[in-house]
Amino acid sequence: MKPIVAVDGGTYFHRKTLYEAPYAEFFDDIIYAHDLAQADLTNVGCLFVTSRQSGELMANAKDKIARYLAQGGFVVAMGETEYAKWLPNIDWHPTEVNFWWWLDKDADSGLVVNNEQHTLFNYLSLADATWHQHGYFNPPNGAESLISIKSKGSVLYEDRVSTPGRIIVTTLDPCYHHGSYFMPSTTKFLAGFLPWLRAELSQQGN
Amino acid sequence: MKPVLYINPVDGEASGLFNLDCARHLDRISPYHIDSLNLAIYKAILIPAHTDQRALVKAAVQLNAYLNQGGLLVFNGHVAYPFLDELKPFIPVPKTSLDYLMVERVTPHPIFEGVELQDMSFRRGVSGFYGRGHNPPPAGAVVLHQLSGTQAPIDWLYQRPSGGTILMHSGNSMWMHFSDKTSAARITPQLFHWIETYSGAPK
Repeated sequence: MKPIVAVDGGTYFHRKTLYEAPYAEFFDDIIYAHDLAQADLTNVGCLFVTSRQSGELMANAKDKIARYLAQGGFVVAMGETEYAKWLPNIDWHPTEVNFWWWLDKDADSGLVVNNEQHTLFNYLSLADATWHQHGYFNPPNGAESLISIKSKGSVLYEDRVSTPGRIIVTTLDPCYHHGSYFMPSTTKFLAGFLPWLRAELSQQGN
Repeated sequence: MKPVLYINPVDGEASGLFNLDCARHLDRISPYHIDSLNLAIYKAILIPAHTDQRALVKAAVQLNAYLNQGGLLVFNGHVAYPFLDELKPFIPVPKTSLDYLMVERVTPHPIFEGVELQDMSFRRGVSGFYGRGHNPPPAGAVVLHQLSGTQAPIDWLYQRPSGGTILMHSGNSMWMHFSDKTSAARITPQLFHWIETYSGAPK
């Protein structure tokens, strides 16, 4: 299996998520975001961009990532990574964050699974992806939304059309909250998403 | 008055802060360009919780020199990369339950005057926003707040023998409460007022 390489933004929550149990074992290598523009991505199976990165540093690596995707690379962009500065065809709509939606009577996150047959949902449930929202995307034509907010747009989609590679983009920011010891759903999301990612790479020989 | 420097981790983050009267004169810079500045001109340096601490390690010599000449460093977040000798890695509470998350006042300070502990311990009834552990203080630090159960010193003030002062908040940025509808909203303007009146601690 080609390696999963994570991008480390140097914050406390990146350190907790990437270098400590239980998730450190899922990352074969780690690149400091500041060094990403100079990194060799040739043999990377998946570039996992952890939540909340500096747009300045990601923009510096935009051409490098574009070349990687042009060669069939696989990029996962977690939430709050200033996507439009470094990924193609991003139509992102930030919204005000309501941290307290779940306190409302008859609370409804508004989230729905768009394709229950997708292999990701063998590893995680909608509940594992449910916490506050930072906004939504309008995915490009031909991309597949996996989780969306009813009557708004996608919070997690897979784009195999914008480049010869594969891009998964989400508004969800589990690395931040897991690394901050806050909100157990975010830890459960990683507990499902990371094993799924390894299984994907193993099965596809990426 | 000397300007205050805000290390800007992510564009757009904390944008509401900069609209406040008390914070409108902040100079902002990315953590990757600290070496382009003469830090000595700044009254205080504010480090938000989401800052790249590996960049602070690279700027450690400058930050140490800034403190030595009497500077004031306000650090927020969990210490992951101790970039000054006085800093030690964050220790989380043993369990994120109410038993360990109530904020307790140890030493009154002007920044927190009139701020109810209830409003620091809970936001809309939810606990844990203010902090979920602590950055261990050096000997001689004055503890301002601790968390219940383990007496974890979450906020502290330290006048360094070598010069300068560190104000530590071992949680999300202190100014996150600026728009709260509770007494916790007092923290931000009172922090900036205290910085304005801070007289320095040269060696």
